[in-house]
Amino acid sequence: MAAKDRRIGVALAAATCTLLGSGKAAPAQAADDVNAWDFETALLYYGENDSRVRDISLSALAKRLFEDEKHLDLSLSVDTLTGASPSGAIATGSVQTFTSPSGREVYSTPANEIPLDDTFLDTRVAVSAHWTQSFARLYTGSAGASFSTEYDYTHIGADLALSRDFKQRNTTVSAAVAFSQDDIDPVGGAPQALSQMLDVGDLTNRGGSQSKDVLDVLIGMTQVINRTTLLRINYSFSDSSGYLTDPYKFLSVVDPISGDTLARSPPPGTQGPDGLYRFENRPDSRTKHGLFLEGKHAFGSKVLDLSYRYMTDDWEIDSHTLDARLRWPLGSFGYVEPHVRYYSQTAADFYRVNLTAAEPLPQFVSADSRLGDFDAITVGVKFGREMRHGAEWSARIELYQQNANVPDALLIGNQFGRERSLDLNAIIAQISYRFGL
Amino acid sequence: MRWLGIGLVIASLTGCASTGVAPWERDVLAKPEMQLDAQPLDVAFDDHIYFSKEASSGGRGFGGGGCGCN
Repeated sequence: MAAKDRRIGVALAAATCTLLGSGKAAPAQAADDVNAWDFETALLYYGENDSRVRDISLSALAKRLFEDEKHLDLSLSVDTLTGASPSGAIATGSVQTFTSPSGREVYSTPANEIPLDDTFLDTRVAVSAHWTQSFARLYTGSAGASFSTEYDYTHIGADLALSRDFKQRNTTVSAAVAFSQDDIDPVGGAPQALSQMLDVGDLTNRGGSQSKDVLDVLIGMTQVINRTTLLRINYSFSDSSGYLTDPYKFLSVVDPISGDTLARSPPPGTQGPDGLYRFENRPDSRTKHGLFLEGKHAFGSKVLDLSYRYMTDDWEIDSHTLDARLRWPLGSFGYVEPHVRYYSQTAADFYRVNLTAAEPLPQFVSADSRLGDFDAITVGVKFGREMRHGAEWSARIELYQQNANVPDALLIGNQFGRERSLDLNAIIAQISYRFGL
Repeated sequence: MRWLGIGLVIASLTGCASTGVAPWERDVLAKPEMQLDAQPLDVAFDDHIYFSKEASSGGRGFGGGGCGCN
């Protein structure tokens, strides 16, 4: 009994600690065998409608258990991204031409369509390593580091987490801190804030690389309620500072009456934008607070996982996320797990659809739809089948849909008759295999 | 008011004498599917996707981040 109790307590502590520490926990089927490896591997496809962003991701987690419940967790993830994403410009009644992020060529958008930048192509490699061990009987500590690199972005981070069990290990209190330093080296150079999009070959508004720092703090508590119910509550604090602007996003500058984008002509013999566009600018700091509540309850052999997250930040974005999963055993066939997620956010206080020619330039402005007001829903299902020796196959498919809410107050003149926003529909498909060696 | 609510939740979780189980009552809690990190790769993928597409991230852990997608 004591050994089982200790194992569960350590598992609870490690679960909280690892989740707090990295966001990428170790394989759940912790091997009881010391010096054994557990692996979890997965292939993910993410694809958006209208040939927009596509991501194929291959990930692997490896866990090695040592004496005295020490363990090492390693992760590797490789992403390949292609496709087009909204640039921030609005639809107009005619073809629009833009200078590409590199400043070396132009691309066009048909009339009455919301412009997409289709020069998006990247490969990302991310790795992390975490060491976890218990000490002084009731404490568990974890330390880790993460690194990722892609064409225009490099991340390096470190984190520490500590947890302590109380009340016969029915309560676990955890604290964790993470710091990351990211370098951004945009294609063609980071555009000067609010500067106008220039002609091909003119890089006078481009700067060098940029950086940002992020400090995260998490305080959490896990509580066993009864034999079949478990609760977790986390408070999170995040402070970002530095370059938080998206260097590839810009806004249309429009006539204050008609709402049409102001026209311009590149000099003869030069390619360039045929409208007036200005690059966005976001504040150089952001502070977020979050509250996360999760409950797990077993109904016989079925397990329900319910969670709610509230987040608020000083960009005036508030969000609510509700998530529910029900794991339903199918006897010897394995299990099925339906999943529903609802998300809703308010717009950043500097979110705008466009700029007008009549106004002085605001200090901060962005038309990035991810900073706008929208709701999203995810519906999916997962199938899993346990194999011999603790191995497991699983597959899931989910549909993700975003519905933007662009209020009339943000629109002008002819914009009322045109497409306001691009709704997003995406498919998430994943196959996973977990095994031990 | 918000923080008062959080305090009440924490107080109710820790202060109630009837919460918790004895060591020999942990059979259900010990099942892999009852662990809070039962699906680490799914969570990691989801954090990455939603970090790229939404303005909020993290909460469960430090989730998301470390990429130029937002």
